[in-house]
Amino acid sequence: MIAHDFDYYRPDTMKEAYGIYQKLSAMDKSPAYYAGGSEVITMSRAGSILPGAVVDLKAIPECTYMGFADEGLMIGACVTLSAIAESKLFPMLGTAVSRIADHTNQCRITLGGNVCGTIIYRESVLPLLLTDCSVYLWGANGERRVPIKDVFHQRVMLKKGEFITRFAIDQKWLGVPYIHVKKTKNEKIDYPLLTLVALLEGGDIRMAFSGLCEFPFRSSRIEDTLNGPDCTISEKAERITHQLPGPCLDNLDGSAEYRAFVLKNTVYKVLQKFKEMPNGRI
Amino acid sequence: MKSAVGTSVERIEAWEKVTGKAKYTGDFYSPGTLHARLVTSSIAHGRILSIDFSKARKQTGVRAVLDGKSFPALFGTLLEDQPALAIDKVRYFGEPLAIIVAASEAEASLAAELVEVEYEPLPVINSAQESVQQGAPLIHEAMMSYKKGANDLLPQAGTNVAASFQIRKGNLSHGWAASEVVIEEHYSLPGSDHAAMEVRVAQAEIKPGGTVEIMASTQSPFAVKKQVSKLFNIPEGKVVVRVPFLGGGFGGKAAVYLEVLAYMASFAVGGSPVRLTITREQDMASCPARLGLEADIKLGAARDGTIVAAEMLFLLDTGAYCTSSPYMSKAIAADCTGPYNIENLWCDSLCVYTNHIPATSFRGFAHESYTFCIERALDALANRCGIDPLELRLKNAIQPGHFSPTQVRITSSNAGNTSACIQKLSSLINWEEGIRIELGDGKVRAKGMSCLWKTSTSPTDASAGAILTFNSDGSLNLNTGVVEMGSGGQTQLAQMLADRMKMDIGRVHVRLDVDTQLNPHYWKTVASMTTYMAGRAVIKAADDAIAQLKAIASVALRCPPEELELGHEYVYLRSDPQFGISFQKLVQGFKYPNGNAVGGQIIGRGSFIMGHLTPLSPETGKGKTGPDWTVGAQAVEVELDTTEFTYRIIKAATVMDVGKLINPRAAEGIICGGMSMGLSLASREYFPYNGRGVMQATSLRNYKLLHIGQEPDYLVGFVETPQEDSPYGARVFSEHGIIGIPAALANALSTASNSSLNRLPITPETIWKSYMGGKP
Repeated sequence: MIAHDFDYYRPDTMKEAYGIYQKLSAMDKSPAYYAGGSEVITMSRAGSILPGAVVDLKAIPECTYMGFADEGLMIGACVTLSAIAESKLFPMLGTAVSRIADHTNQCRITLGGNVCGTIIYRESVLPLLLTDCSVYLWGANGERRVPIKDVFHQRVMLKKGEFITRFAIDQKWLGVPYIHVKKTKNEKIDYPLLTLVALLEGGDIRMAFSGLCEFPFRSSRIEDTLNGPDCTISEKAERITHQLPGPCLDNLDGSAEYRAFVLKNTVYKVLQKFKEMPNGRI
Repeated sequence: MKSAVGTSVERIEAWEKVTGKAKYTGDFYSPGTLHARLVTSSIAHGRILSIDFSKARKQTGVRAVLDGKSFPALFGTLLEDQPALAIDKVRYFGEPLAIIVAASEAEASLAAELVEVEYEPLPVINSAQESVQQGAPLIHEAMMSYKKGANDLLPQAGTNVAASFQIRKGNLSHGWAASEVVIEEHYSLPGSDHAAMEVRVAQAEIKPGGTVEIMASTQSPFAVKKQVSKLFNIPEGKVVVRVPFLGGGFGGKAAVYLEVLAYMASFAVGGSPVRLTITREQDMASCPARLGLEADIKLGAARDGTIVAAEMLFLLDTGAYCTSSPYMSKAIAADCTGPYNIENLWCDSLCVYTNHIPATSFRGFAHESYTFCIERALDALANRCGIDPLELRLKNAIQPGHFSPTQVRITSSNAGNTSACIQKLSSLINWEEGIRIELGDGKVRAKGMSCLWKTSTSPTDASAGAILTFNSDGSLNLNTGVVEMGSGGQTQLAQMLADRMKMDIGRVHVRLDVDTQLNPHYWKTVASMTTYMAGRAVIKAADDAIAQLKAIASVALRCPPEELELGHEYVYLRSDPQFGISFQKLVQGFKYPNGNAVGGQIIGRGSFIMGHLTPLSPETGKGKTGPDWTVGAQAVEVELDTTEFTYRIIKAATVMDVGKLINPRAAEGIICGGMSMGLSLASREYFPYNGRGVMQATSLRNYKLLHIGQEPDYLVGFVETPQEDSPYGARVFSEHGIIGIPAALANALSTASNSSLNRLPITPETIWKSYMGGKP
């Protein structure tokens, strides 16, 4: 149970949500935005966060909409992982999110919540990084649209009180062939030792990772190695294990050495698969 | 009429459970009940310098706070080594050291967070091996002065060894001299959680008249009654313990503990009802769990694989307190060989303290742990001899005329037919096709097997009772005191009763919840003994009721009772079945046409007490711990990707000698459940500790279990060799499905990966490490 009392707000508009958040902050309520609630509930239960108030974003139409607009596919931040997977609108994202938690939780966890979560893996961001999606944020000056690479560095860089309202993905990415691999310690439903999502864009490989470092990432250095000439795929796989943007995770799910082994092995297999594809030039 | 025995009748409580209406301890709540919350230790070993309740007391709703000084006595079933709440020092991370009683669960929980404890850390013993090192710090300095509940424990002064058992059989030096092949291996199994779906909970109330009412999720209501009575000096009849359905026990709810704390909490608030709710996290970190085990096994054999010598050392990690672990060490010693004939045998089985969570009984009562070691050793031996592992087991399988490690003569009645199980398993899992098949692309399919045997380790005088009463329509009520925890024991008892009374099972009504004031005494619902112990009592009670029915019917039918038969709720004349009288007219007294009545109501009673059990000789281990063994053979088939060491479990198979099948579908179900638990244990489950002995997985977020949908195909076969002293010749097997599975999985994966996997759990990383010999 959560022993602490907290206030609950459910605004109907983005503007109202932002306003309530600011007001609660001024009252020292340490408010938290609330989408699916899975993290707020478990973290509060464990005592690691104690919000005095939560601001539920699920009644805001923009945040729960999923469908097409001029910008491409719009996915509201409060759309659940299971809704994304079942819609089949963006198969790469659908595959990635259906390997996060179990089905019960997928029906609760939202895309925005997973991208912003405190749990470090945030695997749903990988397809978003690969497809250069746009992120809509609501803040002091209303809504703004930014490329994901400008707002996601290891984690989402939000100003205080700002929140993600929706994501926009260009149509051209929705049907692109991709490879998704998730490796866990042994249990299917678990945090990743390595989650890798990759696609081919104009003959070049794009690849994003979770589970390797304390944050999910896409690295130009690694992609340069993958797409560079003059070495075998086995050498490439070996080389990128030395190009991680941070220390390799070493925890109960797996040691750093083993993760490096899994990375090398997995990348090797993925590169081999790309090689067999018609446009692959590796 | 078709007999209820041998039929797959559905479980008596099935409808309650599948509709979600079944009630468990946590579902019984009466207004006005106060809430207790545990404050637990944040370090693994240390002196308690101070406990400051001042902030906690200020929290609204707090009614009482308790710590070790509130009740400074020690308790324990086998060795009285445990304080109700830590006194002077804490011995494991998660150890309860204080209780807050408050008006609501939230207030108790908030106050618990405000308790400030100051410790002086002490050196931590983080493994069984560290515990037996020379000069290891003592976890219980006063161990030798602790009172014992059993006099065969042999703790070793000045050490952390709380109990020791030894087997000395045959002549080991002759055995080694005759050995042409010798293997020696070390095995290591970490502790793990029971992970029952229902977390533990206990409620207590002291009535104004002095009666103590306890409701708890326990497998041992009668032991709770006895211990609470003894500890707090309350007349036993004044302690009433109730148990509704139990949401899974697996041995983890056999130890008496939370009930003691709940009583103390109620006492502290003047007897008001108090519920002690345990969170999942506390259920995992603070309540007794499954043992860890370290073992060294050396086997000697002739070149043809016949084992001629064995030397074994087992170190059972009982954690900070003993609970029932000494008898698990005893059980390991008594059955250490598995169902194999080894004439020259030494075994030392020690129960040692560490700064881990206390260990208690777990499905298999340590057999699931030591069997891993011996069965891995058998595969190592088969490899060394160049013999098929199944052939090696057949060659050494125990037979009538052999002697068990404790020198009990083996008969087909007391030990079933191991060879028949192995042979049937061979065809069930298609052993003949080969145990390692390369599939291409680096994939390998492999099989591994294990045998199992298990007898019980009860007190020599464990007993059961049964009471039968009748309704006026002639139907029956059965009352035993067995806790219903999902193993289907009560259904099997009803089947036996219906068969014995030659009536429809739908007419047998079973009292499913336990109330120690109403039910006859039953030792504990543990050790898979329901069909044997309670079964014997039920049969006796049925015979008693039958005798009474015949006696009163002989008056009504005017004939000697020996001329009467029973069937379809009638008592009739054997020579003329048309001439009879219905139960309905007999069970509450027989009334003559003129209104005169005779006979009174019929109440059947039966009881059973274990026979011929003896303690083990401290020198040789000679003795008898349980009445009979149940034997079986199990196999697991896996597919390993040798490029990345990931694997899939494809099949798991069991052939069990069940003596006589009472309920075929229920038997398959419980054996599959055992296999599932064994696979989960072997592939995922363990308690990781950091260097300071702090448990790292205290929630189901990072403690992983096998999920539904990840199960392999299960295959179950039966052998039926009657056990002569058991009702219908049936053997007990509720726990047994788990026992050989971890070993079978390890054997399959060792074969698949050409490495030696002697530790659990087995994950792709551990296979990788073993394969690489530690070098990436």
